[in-house]
Amino acid sequence: MITPTAYREALSRIDAPSSFAALRQTALRKFLQAGLPDSRQEDWRYTSLRHLERMPLHAPAAMPETLPALEDYPGALLAYLDDRLVWQDTTLPATVLGVLADAIGTETPAAFGNLAGNGLVGSSLTQLNAALWREGACLRVPAGERLRQPVFLRFAAAEADAMLYPRVFINMAVGSDAILVEHFLGDPGIAYWQNPVTEIVLEAGARLTHLRIVEDSNLATHTGLTAVHLGQDSNYRALNLTFGGLVARHELNVTLAGVGAEVRLDGVFIADGLRGAEQHLRIVHQAPRGKSRTLYRGLADGRGRGVFDARVEVRPHADGSDAQQSSRNLLLSPHAEIDAKPQLEIYADDVKCGHGATVGSLDEDALFYLRSRGIDGDSARQLLLHAFVGEALGLLDDTGLRDWLMPRLLARMPRSHLLEPRPWTH
Amino acid sequence: MLQIRNLHVSVAGKPILKGVDLTVQPGEVHAIMGPNGSGKSTLAQVLAGRDGYDITEGSVHYLDQDLLPLTPEERARAGIFLAFQYPLEIPGVANVQLLRTALNGQRRARGEAEMDAIDFLEYVKDKLVLLGMDDSFLYRSVNEGFSGGEKKRNEILQMAVLEPRLAILDETDSGLDIDALHVVAQGVNSLRNGARAIILVTHYQRLLNYIVPDQVHVLAGGRIVRSGGSELAEELERKGYAWLGDEAEFMETYL
Repeated sequence: MITPTAYREALSRIDAPSSFAALRQTALRKFLQAGLPDSRQEDWRYTSLRHLERMPLHAPAAMPETLPALEDYPGALLAYLDDRLVWQDTTLPATVLGVLADAIGTETPAAFGNLAGNGLVGSSLTQLNAALWREGACLRVPAGERLRQPVFLRFAAAEADAMLYPRVFINMAVGSDAILVEHFLGDPGIAYWQNPVTEIVLEAGARLTHLRIVEDSNLATHTGLTAVHLGQDSNYRALNLTFGGLVARHELNVTLAGVGAEVRLDGVFIADGLRGAEQHLRIVHQAPRGKSRTLYRGLADGRGRGVFDARVEVRPHADGSDAQQSSRNLLLSPHAEIDAKPQLEIYADDVKCGHGATVGSLDEDALFYLRSRGIDGDSARQLLLHAFVGEALGLLDDTGLRDWLMPRLLARMPRSHLLEPRPWTH
Repeated sequence: MLQIRNLHVSVAGKPILKGVDLTVQPGEVHAIMGPNGSGKSTLAQVLAGRDGYDITEGSVHYLDQDLLPLTPEERARAGIFLAFQYPLEIPGVANVQLLRTALNGQRRARGEAEMDAIDFLEYVKDKLVLLGMDDSFLYRSVNEGFSGGEKKRNEILQMAVLEPRLAILDETDSGLDIDALHVVAQGVNSLRNGARAIILVTHYQRLLNYIVPDQVHVLAGGRIVRSGGSELAEELERKGYAWLGDEAEFMETYL
């Protein structure tokens, strides 16, 4: 059972424009009726959110007084702390990049809320976000424009037991081009809940490269949704990296609505210690000649639990669709677990679809080969693990963000516990 | 340099080596020949420190130190190198990355300074020439998509880079055409010197036309049944292994 008080209290603290107040009320009511998702729902059979019911969750208190020390972000930046914009560093006009609440105040983007659910449809967690999001972020790239620098959205948590509802709306107008990085993180050692929703609309011929990095604290819960709508000949490429969170779940719904749309979804998730990392992908080919590529690599160590659940639907009339999925997963301890569940549903003709999913352990022969060359066991494992996840990291070169990201990834790679090599006396 | 005494090795409870004795001095090249299943590869793997082999009896000393408790990487750092019969493909790890990590791992263990990327490239270039390989080999994933001959050459390249004191070449000649065999043999011969010992494990005498051994041993039924000079290899080439059958069978039954 959830106690509605915390959520009602959170809503009462939001001074939303009246145009949205009714919608927020409706969304909250629907959430409270449905409650948190539970394991009886197929999509939620792996994750339990019961621990949220026992936490003293609340909306974050007033604006934090001290600014966080910010990492270097090589591009335009909006930095949020506990759901409030605390820092921005951008030369883009406010009509292109700014706070979503402000953007909505003047003119509501036509598609806002339609993809993810605006309180009328969508899962209960999405409704909760629709009810309780605060400032949000909005990126609207005008037709034919190409942003020279990546746009970074940093969503950080600093208050224990805070409920955070980042909301992002992206509109890529006809023929526009941009790189977007969403970075979720929080102070180590605190528990909190991030429940973000990101909606992305690509108009005809638009291109977006999207890095999404979940680096939340090891006590945090992250339940995120990204909904993407692709117009004709548009191109969406994503790299989803999950390194943090006690429970980290990402739902990615992609609709290829226009003829000839192309999607590439790459991802790496690491579930170590007691952590769980779940990737739920739903790729819908609605129009002819769409192309989708999915390439995920998963690592589980300790008592970690990973899930790769991907469903490709090729709808009637989406003839000539081409969908390929690859999911390879490594278990690094006998107590780790990864479930890989690729699914294909095809209702069209002349379709090329395929998927491959493997769950295995590190290749002992390869390990011995490296060790026999004098590479210690620990380094040999690292070398093999880096090579393994490296297969899914091609977009780092395309975006020029390899140097920025790799130290973060390397810091989160599972370490092995082999003995220190003995010194050789000769 | 290497003293193997009465070595008994089992795999999953099944005895494979049943009392092998072998002494190798610095500068020597030894060939270990024998029919399939005689335990040749087992001996090579045991010397390199592979898991999964139970040493039930006997001892192995290398440079007057007990070799058997050492991990594979410790053995490599002490100068032991095994050229694999079936070199592994490692997608995503560039050849140059493997070579430099391995060399620097060994240098660190010996208390020497690590080699930086530029010095290393300079160092490795001569070795490439030696084996008739071009620079592109450095940047390809380790053995991925290599032909059989390229894989074997790559093993010898690693040997040339790591400059071991004791090199064990496990069936390095298998699957090589005559040109590739020539290149590989040339590479090995150029690494022969007074301080380095080499053990050639092979089924056929062919390789020994190019790399002439100081001693030849015949392994059969898990024991060395004959030892001699390079003329023993020629005898085996003429007569095959069958004429050893009686002898091997006798030893298996009564010893």
